[in-house]
Amino acid sequence: MKSIRKIDAIPKLNGSWKFLDDYSYEEMIHGQLLYSTCHHGTIKKIHFPDGYNLSEFTVVSAANIPGENIVPEPVCDQPYMADKEVFHFGQVIMGIAHPNRKLLREFIRKIKIEYEELPAIIDIKECLENEDNVFGKELIIDHRTGRKPDPNWIHHHKIYYTPHQEQAYLEPQGMIAVWQPKEKIMFVRATCQCPFFVKEGVETIMGSAIKEAVIETSEGIGGAFGGKEDFPSLLAGITSLLSYKSGKPVKIVLEREDDIQITTKRHPARIEIETWTDPETRKIMKIYIDYRLDAGAYQTLSPVVLARGVLHAISGYSIPDAYIRGRLFRSNTPSNGAFRGFGAPQAFAAMEAHVESIAADMNINPYKFRRKNIFRIGNEFPTTQPILENNLSDCLERVIEKSNYLQKLEEFKEWNKTHKDKKGIGISIGYHGGGYTGNGEKVLNSEVKVVIEKDATVKIYVANTDMGQGAHTTLAQMFFEAIDHPREKCLVQLPNTSKTPNSGPTVASRTIYIIGNLLRRFALKIKDELGFENLDDYVSSNQNEFPREFRMKFVQDPSVVFDEENYVGVAYKDYSWAACVTEIYFHADTYQIELTKSWNVIDIGKVVNQKIAVGQAEGGILQGLAYGLCEFFYKAGYGRMHGFSDYALPTTMDLPEIDVEFIHTDSPIAKGLGEIPMDFPAPSVRNAFHNATGIFIDEYPLVPERIFKSLTADERR
Amino acid sequence: MKFIRPNDMEGLFQNMEENNDRRYFLAGGTDINVQIKNGVIKNAEIIYIKHLKELNGIQIVKDDIVIGAVTNITEILNSKIIKENLPFFQRSLESFASPLLQTSATIGGNIANGSPTADVVPLLLVLDAKLEIVSKTQTRIIELNNFFTGYKTNIMKTNELIRSIIIPRKAENGFDTYFEKVGSRKSLMISKVTLAGLKNISHSKFTTVKLAVGSLNEYPRRLYKIEEYLTDKSLIEINFLKVEELLNEEITPITDLRSDKEYRYHVCVNLIRTFLNE
Ligand SMILES: Cc1cc2nc3c(=O)[nH]c(=O)nc-3n(C[C@H](O)[C@H](O)[C@H](O)COP(=O)(O)OP(=O)(O)OC[C@H]3O[C@@H](n4cnc5c(N)ncnc54)[C@H](O)[C@@H]3O)c2cc1C
Repeated sequence: MKSIRKIDAIPKLNGSWKFLDDYSYEEMIHGQLLYSTCHHGTIKKIHFPDGYNLSEFTVVSAANIPGENIVPEPVCDQPYMADKEVFHFGQVIMGIAHPNRKLLREFIRKIKIEYEELPAIIDIKECLENEDNVFGKELIIDHRTGRKPDPNWIHHHKIYYTPHQEQAYLEPQGMIAVWQPKEKIMFVRATCQCPFFVKEGVETIMGSAIKEAVIETSEGIGGAFGGKEDFPSLLAGITSLLSYKSGKPVKIVLEREDDIQITTKRHPARIEIETWTDPETRKIMKIYIDYRLDAGAYQTLSPVVLARGVLHAISGYSIPDAYIRGRLFRSNTPSNGAFRGFGAPQAFAAMEAHVESIAADMNINPYKFRRKNIFRIGNEFPTTQPILENNLSDCLERVIEKSNYLQKLEEFKEWNKTHKDKKGIGISIGYHGGGYTGNGEKVLNSEVKVVIEKDATVKIYVANTDMGQGAHTTLAQMFFEAIDHPREKCLVQLPNTSKTPNSGPTVASRTIYIIGNLLRRFALKIKDELGFENLDDYVSSNQNEFPREFRMKFVQDPSVVFDEENYVGVAYKDYSWAACVTEIYFHADTYQIELTKSWNVIDIGKVVNQKIAVGQAEGGILQGLAYGLCEFFYKAGYGRMHGFSDYALPTTMDLPEIDVEFIHTDSPIAKGLGEIPMDFPAPSVRNAFHNATGIFIDEYPLVPERIFKSLTADERR
Repeated sequence: MKFIRPNDMEGLFQNMEENNDRRYFLAGGTDINVQIKNGVIKNAEIIYIKHLKELNGIQIVKDDIVIGAVTNITEILNSKIIKENLPFFQRSLESFASPLLQTSATIGGNIANGSPTADVVPLLLVLDAKLEIVSKTQTRIIELNNFFTGYKTNIMKTNELIRSIIIPRKAENGFDTYFEKVGSRKSLMISKVTLAGLKNISHSKFTTVKLAVGSLNEYPRRLYKIEEYLTDKSLIEINFLKVEELLNEEITPITDLRSDKEYRYHVCVNLIRTFLNE
C-alpha cells in the first residue's frame, strides 16, 4: 500500500524525461503519411505538386514493400498501405520523407489524388442497423434453459447506442526507424504499448530485407489508453520502409488532427436487449442480447474486443436464461481498436441503462432492483464460470451507504418540485476480467528476466511499458517489497526487444495482475533458491556469483479452462469489481448536465501503491464519465471532430469531486486496475439524468443538443 | 511571409503607409498563429505590435476607461481600475479560454479577428464601447456597434489598426448585469451561444435593457428590436412569444460540427427569459 513516488515524476516536472519527439539521430529526416480522403474508391492518379525537387523526397507505397503488405493482428486483413483501392478515409497510401518537416507538410497538403468513388458506409447507424454489413465470426454465449417465459413476466425491449471515443493521449503517435545496413538490423524507437507487436510489424513488412527488427521504447510514453496497442505496428512498418529506402534515420510524428482523424478509436456499438422479469420475485429471468460493434474497414483486433464485450454484456446480474450474440459490422471508416475497457464500457452502457429502465417501469428503487439481481456466490456467468465471491455486491452496498443514496433520492425529489433546474443521482456497476481472455495468457507464455549486479542492484527486464500509468514504479515495487530490498536498487529497464524477454503486451489490465504478481513470486523464488535473508549481504559475501541472470515464466492457473468455440468455461481467473453513484445538476436553460460528485468503490484486491492506484482510478473515472457526458466525436453529415477545441474532453474545471475507495485490499493478489475505472461510471450519468428529469436517453454522449432534442420530442408527443 | 517588428509607433506607421490587404498584426498570436499553421493566411505581411507601449495599458481618461488594444486578458482580470469601475466586465472574462491563453490573448486581437464567437465583443457591445482606430495620418473614434460589416470583415482600412477600446466609466452603473457563455465544457471552450445583458427597472418596468449575443450571427451584435420591445414594459406585460419572434428576426444561428441551430436558438430564448426574470 506504500505510496512510493513515481520514478518519472521529477524528470517529467523538470522536462528531462524524453518523449519520442525529443530523440534525434544524425542525418535524420522526417516522414509523414499520405492518406486517403476518399471513403471508398479506386486510386486513378496521384499528382505531385509542381515546384518541388522530387529527388529530395523519399516515397514508399504498397509497391515498395519487400515483405508482406498485411499488418499482423488477431485477424490479418489490413494492409500497411492501400494498393489500388482505398476502403476508408484515412487509409495510408504512401509514406513520404524529407529533411525539412515544414516543407514536407506543405508538399503533402498539395498532393492531389484522383479517385473513382465507390459506395461507402460512413454513418455509424447506417453501418450497425444493416445486417448485410456483418463480417467476421459471430460469437455466441448460449446459456438458454429452454423454458418459455411465464405469461406474467414483464418484457422489456430496447436498443442502446454508444459512440466512438478518442484516446486523446497527450503525446501523439510517433516512430523513429534507423536502418543499420551492415548488421541488417532495423532499429525502431517507439512510443507504444507493445514492443513485440511493433517488432512483428516491422519484420512482416520488411520480410527478408532485414535480419531482425529491434524495438526500444522512448523513455517517456505520453499516454496510450489502448491507442498505442496496434496502430504503432503499422506506423513502425512504414517508417522502417522509409528508412530502408532513404538509408537515413526517419522520424514520423503525427499531427494532432491526423492522429484524431485516422488512428484507432473506441468501437461504436449498437446493443439490443430483451429481458423478461418476474414481477413477484423482481428477478430478471431471461435475457437476449444482440451486441454489435462498428469495426471500421478491417477486423484487425476487433474480434478480441467483441469477445470481451459479450463476456461482460450481462453486467453483474445473475440471469438464469441468457443468450448473447456478438457481431462485427464493416464500415468505410478507419479500423477501430483498443481503448481502455475494450468492449466492456459499451456492454455496461447498455445493461446498466436497461436495468434502470426495468426498475423505473416496475416502479422499483434502482438500487433495490440491482441488489435483487446482483451476482452472489453460487451464481454463474453465462459461460457457466462460477461466481466465487460477493465482492461486487459489497461494492454496491458500500457506495450506496457512503453516498447516502437513498436519502438523496428523497431530497432531490423534494428539491426538484420547486426548481426549474434539476438534481439527479444515479447508480452503475461494472467489473473487468484481468488479463487476456480465455486461454490467452497461456498462449502468451510471458517471461520476465532479472539481473542482479555485483552491487546488488536488481535490473528488471519486462516488455511492459510505462506510459504514465506508473507501471515501472509499481512493478519494481512489487519485486523489492517482496524481499525487502532498497527501492533505489531495483529498477525496471527501458523495454528493448533484444534485451527484454517477451512478457507480452501492456494491455488487458494485465501488467500488475500478471507481470507484477509474477515478479513478486519471482523475487520470493530467487530468495528461496539463494537462501538469503538480506540480498545486499548475500551479494557482498558471494561476489563471484554476480552479475547473475534469472528468468521465470508465467504459469496459468489450471482452473482457467475456456472453450473458445462454444464460449463455455472460465474466461478470466480474477475479476475486479466496482460500483458508482454520481450526482448531477441539470441546467434547464442550457440543457447541460453538470457533474457534481461521484462516489466510487472498487475492488482490485491488494493495492500495491495507493497514490498511483487512486490516480489511475480518478483518471479513468473522469474518462468514463466524459464518455457518457460530453466526448462527442462524430456528427452525422459533418464527420469527425478535428481537434481538442471541437472534441470536448473535460478540463479540470469540469471535474466533479471524485471519491475513490478500494475494498477487500487484504487480498494477497493485486488484480487488474488499468481498465475498470473506465468501464463502469458512464451509465451513472445517464441514470442520474433519468432520476432528475424522468427522461431516458439511449445514446451517449448526453450532450445538451441531444437532451434538447429529446425534451422537445417529448413535448411534441 | 514577411515579418516586421517596428521599434515604436513611428516605425509602425512607416510600415503601414500603403494599403496592403495581406497585412496582419501579430498581437498575442492566439488566433493568427493558428490561421498561419492551417494555411488560411499565407504570403502575408505580419507586423508585430504586442511590445508597443502606446498600445498597452489601462487608464482612466475623464469619463472613460481606455484599454490599449494589446492589453491581454490577464491584465484586464488583474486590473484595479477595471475592478472598481467595470466589475461585471472583469468577472465575465474569467471564462475566457484558460489562464494560459489569457496571458497571451489581447482585447484588440479578439475584436479585430472578428470571430462570431469572440467573447469580449458581446460584453463591450452592452457597455457601449467605442474603438479608437488610427492610421499614420488619422485617428477616428467609432462605435463598436458600427465596426463589423460581415463575417470577419470590418470597416478598418488596411493602413489602420485599433489603438484602444474606450468604455464609459459608468457603463455598468445602476444596472443588473448578466453574462452567460454556453459551450461544451467549462474552460477552453468556444461559445455556442453567448448572451450579455444589462437592465434596470423602475416602478417594476424595464427602463433600459441592453442585450448582445455572440455565436448566433456573422458577428456578435446587439438585439435592438428586442430591447425596444422590452423597454417600458413590466414583466407581466411581456409576451414571450413576441420576444421569440423578434429574436428570430435578429439572429441567424447555424448548425455545424459543434452545435445545432435549433439548440442555439432555444438556449438564447431561455437565457433572455432568465435574464429578465432574475
Ligand atoms: C486554445 C484557444 C482557446 C481560445 N479560447 C477563446 C475564448 O474562450 N474566447 C474567445 O473569445 N477567444 C478564444 N480564442 C481566440 C483568441 O485567443 C482570441 O480571439 C484572442 O483575443 C485573440 O487575440 P490575439 O492577441 O492573440 O490576436 P492575434 O492572433 O495576434 O491577432 C488576431 C487578428 O487580429 C488582428 N489584430 C490584432 N491586434 C490588432 C489591432 N490592435 N488592430 C487591428 N487588428 C489587430 C490581427 O491582424 C489578426 O488578424 C482561443 C484561442 C485558442 C488558441
